[in-house]
Amino acid sequence: MNFKEDTPPVKLKGVGDSLWVTINPSLPIDQLKQGLITPFQRLKHLAVNARIIIDTGAEDLENRDELIETLGDFLKKEFQVGHVTKPVTPNRSVTQNRIRQQDMGNSWHHYQNDGLVIAGRVRSGQKIQAKKHLIVLGDLNPGAEAIAGGDIIIMGSLQGKASAGQPDNEEAIIVALEFKPTQIQIGGFVAGGMADSAKNRPEFAYIENNAIVVDDYIKENPFRRLAWPEVR
Amino acid sequence: MDGKIIVVTSGKGGVGKTTITASIGAALALQGKRVAVVDMDIGLRNLDVVMGLENRIVFNIVDIIQGRCKIKQAAIKDRRIDNLYLIPASQSDDKNAIKPENMVWLCGKMRKEFDITLLDCPAGIEQGFRNSIVAADEAVVVCTPEVSAVRDADRIIGLLYAQSITPKLVVNRIVPKMVENGDMLSHEDVVEVLSVDLLGLIEMDEYVVVSTNTGTPLVLQEESKAGKALRRIALRLDGHPDLPIENPMIQKTFWKKLSSKFSRKN
Repeated sequence: MNFKEDTPPVKLKGVGDSLWVTINPSLPIDQLKQGLITPFQRLKHLAVNARIIIDTGAEDLENRDELIETLGDFLKKEFQVGHVTKPVTPNRSVTQNRIRQQDMGNSWHHYQNDGLVIAGRVRSGQKIQAKKHLIVLGDLNPGAEAIAGGDIIIMGSLQGKASAGQPDNEEAIIVALEFKPTQIQIGGFVAGGMADSAKNRPEFAYIENNAIVVDDYIKENPFRRLAWPEVR
Repeated sequence: MDGKIIVVTSGKGGVGKTTITASIGAALALQGKRVAVVDMDIGLRNLDVVMGLENRIVFNIVDIIQGRCKIKQAAIKDRRIDNLYLIPASQSDDKNAIKPENMVWLCGKMRKEFDITLLDCPAGIEQGFRNSIVAADEAVVVCTPEVSAVRDADRIIGLLYAQSITPKLVVNRIVPKMVENGDMLSHEDVVEVLSVDLLGLIEMDEYVVVSTNTGTPLVLQEESKAGKALRRIALRLDGHPDLPIENPMIQKTFWKKLSSKFSRKN
């Protein structure tokens, strides 16, 4: 790769689950750091725990490893980024898992919450909307409505209408300690509540084979099988 | 001291707001309070009929607000019960004849004239409801043990809380036998959904029909279970909040029934 005079010192693009940072190794280190600050500041919390690949262009550069390490440390310190590597074909292995675990362990410190938590009773005629997940510490009465882009979790009795995963997230679930809704929607699917079907146990609704299914949450907890605790 | 403004509301129609307003008003007046009951159902007035005062209406609430008369001129004094006054609704106007700011003004005046002003709110959540709650200090929500009434009451309670009014609940028309057989919601079911303070429970009572048709106050009928419950509600509403709530129950044994018959005084 050749660098022209007017090439910016740093270029940034997303590749897979990582950020690909192309730098001009011929420039002094301070200028490179200066060049990194602007795009990473713009990323804000997205930079936190992001996996970074630093591309120096030519592979036979003599101080390549040293340069990547210095810039990597700088990024970790300034923007709390995750793992920093040079561009290599990823080799999924034990080390890969260890890195994932490390990143995960750090991730909770900086994670910004995008769930809406509400305490109290939602009454008939009231409507609660959340961009992502919605948690109600209380009951959702008949005639009340909860709408969320992600999951809906009712720590109480769900008797109203709950629409999760709006408009098209079919992975979303609806959990309630007492599950007797008038109607539920997940993504584009709709299901009517059935009278007296509640088991007096926490239940949850999800989509399976293009239909809404309701199951016992304790017995069929869908997240138990996940290998790692992850951000939903 | 300024008087209280209490609104009686329900959302759903036909659950007994008007009867309960008239009866609580009468019971409070019998306790010696100066009470006014105001019919807010403009265009569909019937509080005057229930109280048996329809033939004495000269001025109404719209006349007061439009400055055609004074409150004292419009207020009709009950003949049987001292200190009980009715301010009737207009039958020829509609709910838009009054604006919320008019009600704030009127309730300000009522506070000076009366110890307690009861507003009989119309069904629904439109203008008539808005007018009724705008200046209220307290609210009594009437609900029958039916799913539809509970749904509407829940909506009303939400709207009242939005106005910073904490409502109290009256469950009307309980049939203890049906509750026992599981054919009717129990008052516990109703309270569980609505989760507000309970003011009283009223049993289904045939005396109510007689009383509203003849315009005689229900609370003066000693034998009426509903009348008795409403007297207790009035006590709990004003001055005796700790009076226990009586739960309507089936009188189980023949002997109990007999003894209660003999112990009756008149």
